[in-house]
Amino acid sequence: MRPLQRPILAILAVLLAVLTFPGQAHALKPNDAAPEIETRLVAEATAFKLSALRGKVVYVDFWASWCAPCRVSFPILDALGAKHGAQGFAVVGVNQDDAAKDRDAFMKRVRVKFTLVEDGDHKIAKAYDVKAMPSGYLIDRKGTVRYVHAGFDGSSRDKLETQILQLLKETP
Amino acid sequence: MNVKRSVVALAIAGCALLSGCANVKAFERGHLSQPEMQFDADFSATKLSQQMYAAKEAASGGYTTGGGGCGCN
Repeated sequence: MRPLQRPILAILAVLLAVLTFPGQAHALKPNDAAPEIETRLVAEATAFKLSALRGKVVYVDFWASWCAPCRVSFPILDALGAKHGAQGFAVVGVNQDDAAKDRDAFMKRVRVKFTLVEDGDHKIAKAYDVKAMPSGYLIDRKGTVRYVHAGFDGSSRDKLETQILQLLKETP
Repeated sequence: MNVKRSVVALAIAGCALLSGCANVKAFERGHLSQPEMQFDADFSATKLSQQMYAAKEAASGGYTTGGGGCGCN
């Protein structure tokens, strides 16, 4: 090996290692404790804490106005929330929009009754290490993540409802 | 001395290039999904012309993916 080749190869190896290094290696998996969410309701000063919903089955949904499947998921999540709300199920939508006007326009177009909260600096999305949009985390009555949904399509509704019913049967 | 200098220069150039690499997370793609970030002015027209191209050439693919950069469609 010529004398120049070795240092150049070493630098290239370091650059390659840096480029391919995964930023956060700890994606949230089923049976992990759900990270606490402390924020406020969308466009309101009311504080919100996920731990205040302990004892309920909670679906934490990360959404944004620019995310097309979120438009599909919203009415379905709203219906599921209304149907199983009395049994102890709640939906929390965590917004990922950078512009409040985009978010507000979406909320006017797609009206829902479930709780929508802010995540201005994506702090919550980072804590959950969200890999796709939308992403949903179904949390049981004890505060443990039991199912992770990445994306949303026609088949998601039935699967999600089955999981909700299963978790609702469990005692806190 | 010359070897050292070129190695240092290469390292600096490499570091400068690294600043161009950004890992955009799924939830940070709001700006990428804006209409002005699309390659084509009209997505439907591009899709139609691609279909005609595929029919005439008897080959398709190798083109960009449709829509904005939000990666969710």
